[in-house]
Amino acid sequence: MSFQILLNLFLAFLWMFLSSNYSLSRFIIGYLLGLLVIIALRKFFKTRLYIDRVWAVIKLIVLFIKELILANVSVLTLVIKPKLDIKPAIFKYDTQLTEDWEITLLSSLITLTPGTVVVHVSDDAKSLFIHVIDSNDIDETIDSIKYSFEKAILEVSRS
Amino acid sequence: MKTNDVIMQFTAKIVFFIIFFYAVHIFFAGHYTPGGGFVGGLVTASAIVLLIIAFDLKTVQSILPINYIYLVACGLIISLGTAAFSMFVDKPFFTHFFDYFNLPILGKTSLHTAALFDLGVYLVVVGVTMTIIQTIGEDE
Repeated sequence: MSFQILLNLFLAFLWMFLSSNYSLSRFIIGYLLGLLVIIALRKFFKTRLYIDRVWAVIKLIVLFIKELILANVSVLTLVIKPKLDIKPAIFKYDTQLTEDWEITLLSSLITLTPGTVVVHVSDDAKSLFIHVIDSNDIDETIDSIKYSFEKAILEVSRS
Repeated sequence: MKTNDVIMQFTAKIVFFIIFFYAVHIFFAGHYTPGGGFVGGLVTASAIVLLIIAFDLKTVQSILPINYIYLVACGLIISLGTAAFSMFVDKPFFTHFFDYFNLPILGKTSLHTAALFDLGVYLVVVGVTMTIIQTIGEDE
């Protein structure tokens, strides 16, 4: 992935040297042309295209904003309910993420979406302990984490 | 029993660079806008303290093998040297000099010897703060 970015930058500089015009617009044109060449020759690379990964990051950001709004609305409904019928609980969530940055990102995303707070990462870093505000639909919470955030992060990190 | 604080350590690693860059920016902004050597030094020391909190004292000392007492000495020498330089060219003690230079990349830049004096202040502040914190922290 980093090799592809370096190659793309090299192609952009090559384009600037060929046209002997060292301005930002030339650089951007060269970069886009290099991107086209890299996409055309995608079969030569062992790893996936880096532009795929950028797209996955954008998708993750959009997903996070959507989840943030939805979860805040759900907490608002909990707050303004006249009767408080919540059952707080702490449950263990087994994650399949391995890298430090993945675990940190997942924990931050879980904490920033209201209703769930990560209180601890287990010593072998294989499971998170999550405090949930309403344990009536705990399986739903686990599914929503597993199939939204964790899937999106794996999408970003797979080579 | 060592707990697993992977979130704290990873975040500290990233935030350290942000704080350190902000400290350098504040150091160079000191001539025309608020900032300068003292504040920059304190912010740098706080970045290192963040690392010490996230990891531990021995790890950080092996990552940054700096003897902070020597750092204080270097800062004092730089400050005194900048102040004493004017005495050799028959000007009063602490006279500063500045001029405009055409540097290769930055273009026309004004260089002032007060920045060197400030660098000395910066090093002294970082050294003193870190010495205090390490001495207290090592007390078992």
